[in-house]
Amino acid sequence: MSSADQPYIDPSEIALEESAAERFKNPSDAFWSGIRDAAGAPAMVLFAGMVGFGAMGKTNGFDVWFTTFTSFFMFALPGQVVLLEMAITGSSVVAIALAVTLTSTRFITMTVTLFPQFHQKDRNRSLYASVHLLAMTAWAISMREFHAIEVRHRLSYFVGLGLLCWLISIPGTILGFYLAGMVPPAVTLGLVFINPLFFLLTFTEVKPWINRIAICLGCIFGPIFFIVDRDTSLLTAGLVSGTIAYFIDRKFLRKKTGVVG
Amino acid sequence: MSTINTMTNALSGWGLWIALVGACLGTYFCRAIGVLLSQSINQDSEIFRWLAAVTYAMVAALTIRLIVMPLGLMATVPLWIRALICSLAIGVMISKSTKRLVPALLTGTLLMVGYGVIR
Repeated sequence: MSSADQPYIDPSEIALEESAAERFKNPSDAFWSGIRDAAGAPAMVLFAGMVGFGAMGKTNGFDVWFTTFTSFFMFALPGQVVLLEMAITGSSVVAIALAVTLTSTRFITMTVTLFPQFHQKDRNRSLYASVHLLAMTAWAISMREFHAIEVRHRLSYFVGLGLLCWLISIPGTILGFYLAGMVPPAVTLGLVFINPLFFLLTFTEVKPWINRIAICLGCIFGPIFFIVDRDTSLLTAGLVSGTIAYFIDRKFLRKKTGVVG
Repeated sequence: MSTINTMTNALSGWGLWIALVGACLGTYFCRAIGVLLSQSINQDSEIFRWLAAVTYAMVAALTIRLIVMPLGLMATVPLWIRALICSLAIGVMISKSTKRLVPALLTGTLLMVGYGVIR
């Protein structure tokens, strides 16, 4: 960016100059374009994840209300699976709430990187409602597309994108829940396998070394802590592995150029 | 802490719903705090690096648990089958650098269904 040497610049100001081309005529045009962009591979993957989550709920003996409420009010697959797993293993309410909240801290990072790109007039209290639509899928697409969208239409585009993702997750969960009860066990097996596989596959796309180390340590400490004390194992494994990865990165990796992602 | 799960091992009844409310509030809290901070904070700060590492480690611990030490239905599949299917799916995923998530996810899921059919 040409204005990078300025001490402080609002990201929206930069983009305002750059995206001169009019991509959308009005907010509703942007909104529907957001919906169209979501409807495709990203939404399919999310939908599959939600179907898998519904199937997990069913096979683990939860009712359809609990399973669906989770998708509706949390709308964060890793956190949802953490909740389900910890509830099955009988963790305490405090440990569950804490572990889920920690997995959701990635939303802080996502919001902080995405929301400053909205137009100043859109940056008001209503964002506290729109932010519920934020999840990995909508965030990744928005980060990719925003530079080519006029600042004043970005919120409409984001809401269209996020709304579709959120709305499909509800029928996805319900479908998965009932499918798991009706289809042959072989298919249920496939459905239950979707989420672990999905998380595993996304790890291959993680670039920064600090996070790669954290993943490796998590894979080692996860089972160990599970054997030691399974109530709090996710929480302790996450905190210990993440903190070690952070210090490894801080002490050794950052000094070497080209290693830090 | 273990007073909540008295009868059975799994959390049930009110405890389960309280856990859900706690989880929902915690998740929304993180989204809201992001909005609040988005006016003023630098995304590259140390706390975010640490939080990202903790998040990845926790999801990794969860993932490996779900695959290596699963509960319920998945536990009926031998470990080596689970490991083999995961390796094949990862193989598909990294065979090309971009846009391999859908084929890889399909490969893994269908192989698992296939195993369920033939066993």
